[in-house]
Amino acid sequence: MRQQVGESLWQLSRGQTAVVKGFAQSLTEAYRVRLVELGFRPGAAIACTMAPRLGAPKLYRVDNAVYSLERKIAECIQTEPTAV
Amino acid sequence: MKDVLVIGCPNAGKTLLFNRLTGLKQKVANFPGVTVSTHAGRARFSPDLQMVDFPGVYSLHAISGEEKVAIDAFQAALLQPDRVQAVACVIDSSSIAKGLFLALQLRKLCMQANVPLIIVSNMIDVLEKHKLRIDHEGLSKALGCPVIATSARSGLGVDALEAALREPSDIRDVSDPEVLAVDDNWERNEAERLAHTFGPVGDLLLKSHSRLDDFFLHSVTGGLAFFVIMYSLFQAIFTWAAPMMDAVESAVSWGAELVVPMIANPVAADFVRDALFGGVGAFLVFVPQIFVLTLVVGLLEDSGYLARAAVICHRPLNAVGLTGKSFVPMLSGVACAIPAIYTARTIESTSKRWFTYMAIPLMPCSARLPVYALLIAAFIPPTYTAGGVIGLQGLAMFGIYLFGIVMALLVTAILSSVSPQSADDSPFVLEMPPYRIPAFSSILRGALERAGYFVRRAGPVIFWITLLIWILGYFPNNGADLSQSYLAYLGRAIEPIFAPLGLDWQYGVAILASFVAREVFVGTLGTLYGIQDATEEVVSLATRVQESGLSLGSGVALLVFFAIAAQCVSTLATLYRESGSLRLPLQLFAGYGVLAYIMALVAYWLFT
Repeated sequence: MRQQVGESLWQLSRGQTAVVKGFAQSLTEAYRVRLVELGFRPGAAIACTMAPRLGAPKLYRVDNAVYSLERKIAECIQTEPTAV
Repeated sequence: MKDVLVIGCPNAGKTLLFNRLTGLKQKVANFPGVTVSTHAGRARFSPDLQMVDFPGVYSLHAISGEEKVAIDAFQAALLQPDRVQAVACVIDSSSIAKGLFLALQLRKLCMQANVPLIIVSNMIDVLEKHKLRIDHEGLSKALGCPVIATSARSGLGVDALEAALREPSDIRDVSDPEVLAVDDNWERNEAERLAHTFGPVGDLLLKSHSRLDDFFLHSVTGGLAFFVIMYSLFQAIFTWAAPMMDAVESAVSWGAELVVPMIANPVAADFVRDALFGGVGAFLVFVPQIFVLTLVVGLLEDSGYLARAAVICHRPLNAVGLTGKSFVPMLSGVACAIPAIYTARTIESTSKRWFTYMAIPLMPCSARLPVYALLIAAFIPPTYTAGGVIGLQGLAMFGIYLFGIVMALLVTAILSSVSPQSADDSPFVLEMPPYRIPAFSSILRGALERAGYFVRRAGPVIFWITLLIWILGYFPNNGADLSQSYLAYLGRAIEPIFAPLGLDWQYGVAILASFVAREVFVGTLGTLYGIQDATEEVVSLATRVQESGLSLGSGVALLVFFAIAAQCVSTLATLYRESGSLRLPLQLFAGYGVLAYIMALVAYWLFT
């Protein structure tokens, strides 16, 4: 499921924001749909609110909700950085 | 009678609302996915209505088998529109875009089925606390159906909801005649538009989330907090429960002293003293610990901390074939394996769900608690160290609980390393519920109910087995010599199995009886010692165990055996129902039985 090109959501550090560009080809359709349902849709602004060390899942804020995503799925979300 | 179908996103407060509308007391918690099956109950406000609570779903597109079951059940219910009064879609007022996405999908479905839809904008108290508001009237006009603001916690707006459910109105068609077709993203974009037009403007949760997450998810303080919270849980089982246990023990002794002299028939008097007060009474003494355990787990659930604990645990659990989502079922297993097995349904990955099923019977459930507490009380003095902060008995309890957890992780690590990688290895995505101050009164009520349920469930089993043990132990010589009783003959037949652990036939009989349910062990021992003791006194069971000459090695072996063996018929039956096969429960019963015996043998050698 690893993303091959571009910036991924996983690369965001705590406090950084980005806009979702799309999804890696390797992401299954069911999970692409679920991520869109949760708010991780192309064009949505995402903020990384917590990035624990040791590879633990990171916390991302989208709309007024916070989700924890592990590396292998966060790497499938392609983003471009935005000004904070 | 007509049905009101209650549906919504996970953790939107559906079940709390359902409880308010029905007067029922289904389990609620501040964690997504607590409701794992549909519940129905008669509406309190109308005798002709039945409320049906469905598990939380983010949309009508399922990504797991469990979600598909919930959505299929909901759609099947809609196929009988004559039986459906209305659909109540519960959305979280603090995050309405997500809820409106589901509401728009439901609106389409309800219009096709000609069923009224009511949007319930729940948790409105959270918005009010932040001085924010939703334009419910505008939203209602835009959606063509009523939007009612409620707080299931405080009861705000529930009257208005009940009135709307009594006489629901049809959905008005508000579609734009200019639009001929919509694409897949229409509902998402429309939900966004509605949320921005009518929803609250402002940063609602970020600051409070972040401050506490900084602490609870920090690499150092988060790990430390996790350890302290879990350790405090086990200390509480002893320290908080001790006064209640003393009170129950005194009440049992007082009852025996009061009742037994009033019974003229000596056999009946012996039965009441040895079997009822000695056996069943010995079990009742440990019920306060089950109450405290449930209370503390309930407080943790309601605070929102458990989702953070799942994040902390994800990496280590993933390394042993589990997922962070296994944490809550495993912690629930500390109270009871049966609801824990149901909670594991929320794990999307089939292989990780099965490994969680295998781990749950090794979690130190409350039925093991009386056995642990008895043996710890018999061997560990009730003293404190480190300036009165650390109780030795609590420390020992923490140790044996930790042993069960480590065994669960070791077993899943070994099994997952030899199992082929599953194709449906779903990634970890978990919504973080907001932190909140736990609703103490409802958690207290839940803990009391849980303790009561435990007594009602285990009580009859303990009574009948105690009765059987007493009859076999009392006759043929009317309690004059236990070693010459029918039970002694039977016990000596199985003694060779337990002799390598340094256990005599009495412990062998108690272990054998505990395969029906673990807590029977305590009642059985209580009855046996009651018959053996020629005096009229009712002495604490821990004292009797100390006086029996049980060695430390045998005591530790017993603890280890009970920590591993799958001695619960109800758990095995639940595993059979959930897995749909006899293979898993039979393998666990045999495998954990053999493992328990070998590990107990090792413990006996080490401590002797």
